[in-house]
Amino acid sequence: MTTALTKAAVLGGIAGVVAGMFGVGGGVIVVPGLVLWLSLSQQQASGTSTATIVVSSAAALVAFGAAGSVDWPTAALLLAGSVIGAWIGARFAHRVNERSLAIVFALVLAVAGLRMVI
Amino acid sequence: MLEAFALIIVGLLTGALAAALGLGGGVIFVPALVVLFSFDQHLAQGTSLAVIVPTAVVATIAHARTGNVQWRLATPIAAAGLVGAVLGAQVALRLDADVLRRAFGVFLVILAVRMAWRAWRLNGRPAQEADPS
Repeated sequence: MTTALTKAAVLGGIAGVVAGMFGVGGGVIVVPGLVLWLSLSQQQASGTSTATIVVSSAAALVAFGAAGSVDWPTAALLLAGSVIGAWIGARFAHRVNERSLAIVFALVLAVAGLRMVI
Repeated sequence: MLEAFALIIVGLLTGALAAALGLGGGVIFVPALVVLFSFDQHLAQGTSLAVIVPTAVVATIAHARTGNVQWRLATPIAAAGLVGAVLGAQVALRLDADVLRRAFGVFLVILAVRMAWRAWRLNGRPAQEADPS
């Protein structure tokens, strides 16, 4: 378990550096790290990654908020949909088979990667 | 009115996908705000973050109810992540970010292939243990 905690800290550090450098969320690194390196299921990786995103995005939001770079009315409208979507999505992830969830994740990750290359 | 409706729908779909996959949702929110609503990159990122924080809270609660949050691992990841993010921002200010960005994109595609390869070998293993709630 100690090894798992060390691996988790290393994974978090890498995800943080990448997020700070490129402005992408840490999830694109944390989820594959949890699955491929710490042997979690795709569902456990989703849940655990989401918990870390609360902390990392809150810290980044403070910086953007202080700089005045937040359109709050737009955020409120997106939020009205996204909190409902988040509940549905998390519940759905638990019911769908792991293989399908993993394949959708791989597709989204590939698109995110290609967007950065092109 | 139509714009407000469109924003709620974008939020709903992105929130669902992000929560299911363990992502924040910025991958979709930022390009959507830039392309569909003509936001500049910085304002899009800040607005996206303001949506992601409460959305991730809701997603985490929903995942935790089905036993899919490993708090023991989430804690060191989040703590080390904060330190890493500060270092990463410093590095970005000093280096040619464009070349690194492309290299990172290639790395993400390789990760995607590895994730797909693993998924392929799962042979449709059913979902985890029964829902405790």
